[in-house]
Amino acid sequence: MKRIWYFFREAFMSLRTHQASTLIGVITTAFTLTSFGTFLLLYHNVHNLVGRVQQNIQIIVYPKDDIQPQMLQDLKQVIQADPAIESLTLTSKTDALKDFKHQFPDEAYLLEGLGESPFPASLVLNLANTIPSTDRVPNLVNRLQQNPHVERVRYNRDWIERLTLIITYMEIGSLIIGGVLALASITIIANTVQLAFYTRQGEIEILRLIGGTNLFISIPYLIEGAVIGGLGGGIALSFLRGGFELFQHKTHTLNVIGGFSSVFEFFPLSSSLLLIIGGILLGCVGTFTSMYGWMRFRL
Amino acid sequence: MHPPRVDRMIQLFHVTKYYEGCLALSDISVRIEKGECVLLTGPSGAGKTTLLKLIFGAEHPDDGQILVQNRNIARLRRADVPYHRRTMGFVLQDFKLLPHRTVFENVALPLIIRGLSSFESRRKVIEALRAVGMEHKQTTQASVLSAGEQQRACIARAIVNSPIILLADEPTGNLDPQLTTEIAELFKSINARGTTVMMATHNRQVVEQLKGRILRLDSGHLLSDQGAER
Repeated sequence: MKRIWYFFREAFMSLRTHQASTLIGVITTAFTLTSFGTFLLLYHNVHNLVGRVQQNIQIIVYPKDDIQPQMLQDLKQVIQADPAIESLTLTSKTDALKDFKHQFPDEAYLLEGLGESPFPASLVLNLANTIPSTDRVPNLVNRLQQNPHVERVRYNRDWIERLTLIITYMEIGSLIIGGVLALASITIIANTVQLAFYTRQGEIEILRLIGGTNLFISIPYLIEGAVIGGLGGGIALSFLRGGFELFQHKTHTLNVIGGFSSVFEFFPLSSSLLLIIGGILLGCVGTFTSMYGWMRFRL
Repeated sequence: MHPPRVDRMIQLFHVTKYYEGCLALSDISVRIEKGECVLLTGPSGAGKTTLLKLIFGAEHPDDGQILVQNRNIARLRRADVPYHRRTMGFVLQDFKLLPHRTVFENVALPLIIRGLSSFESRRKVIEALRAVGMEHKQTTQASVLSAGEQQRACIARAIVNSPIILLADEPTGNLDPQLTTEIAELFKSINARGTTVMMATHNRQVVEQLKGRILRLDSGHLLSDQGAER
């Protein structure tokens, strides 16, 4: 307990003593995390948008022509049980004929004398509103096509492939940009902590002199890095929230992007907390990289 | 018949140390028993500090073996060095106190590192401060202490863990003759309580006052060993 108190007291004393470098560290971390967060927010919203579009995709399943009514009901139940499906509408052969006659009353005479409906029965599927992914639709189509009672599956392949490509590019982009910005944050925090390290070399030497382990010496610095990272994350989150509200307000009043402005949303609470936790982690990693090299070769 | 091994506090066997190719210590073999007071003398650059650093685990010998309380320091793992240091106290010429902390906080630091309870720490700190006559200064910030007081606080910090060995590197180097006498007297009383004291000094006054075993070094060579029992 005494040690924990010591660690926190040391960390906060150092933050207070080195106010200038602490401030620089917090501001630069906040700036980096704001840039990263802006990208994440953009990604989050485009992802949502893609999800909504994907939800509107209709997949039409045509059962085999000779399928028995009971088997058709069974097929309907099997498909409905798939978690990727939100809802489905069954159109029997008779319903399809009725629909045709309703939609094209002038051409109804063409079907006279045919007896049984020439139209196939169909199942129209609407996708569930889950997280959009690149392989969701192709996987579902594959599963459907493997069913022995299914004749064929029709969907808008081009549009889905284009969406898939957009999601793939965004995921790769987010990985690259996220990685670069995370590296920048780590470097900045590492430098801030290293500065504190150099100014406190005397203290560290004393701690080593009296038997302080590397871990004991490091913990206050790790706390210091975590505080800088956490504060940076918190400030970045405030900037993002403020910026987002401003964006929402402006686009709403100016009607810049029409009905789309209502589609945009801020991070959910869990993602917001993740940004702060991410900042804390970056702070810890930055401190660790700074200290590792320093302590590695010292007895 | 050999004496009990526990009495052999420090043993050096043919220890040699170089700093970037320059000889700092050459083939030093010494045995120091429990409760001895050993004074390392010689001119600057003789190797006194290097010898203390080797015993303290701050340096590795290039050749030879060093046993401290029967533990081979040359083979000590890096992670074990701090635990080795906790068994001994170290007093330096430049005090090495945390200037913005009180005397009490400075002296309590080794106990915090060891994870002692507040109650136990308080008791030990007061005891150590009493031993050096600094009990009344416990709430004073280290930066406002006089040189003599800083050295006393430093000695209190070195003995607060009740070390078996107390190493000191020119502890009176920054002090006037009056303070030197006081500090030397402190070391004498610590040694009288059974702590093995090993001090590097070129102060004749200290040497005469402590009346210990004298190891004379020059250019890394052990020239003489006066007052050795064996």
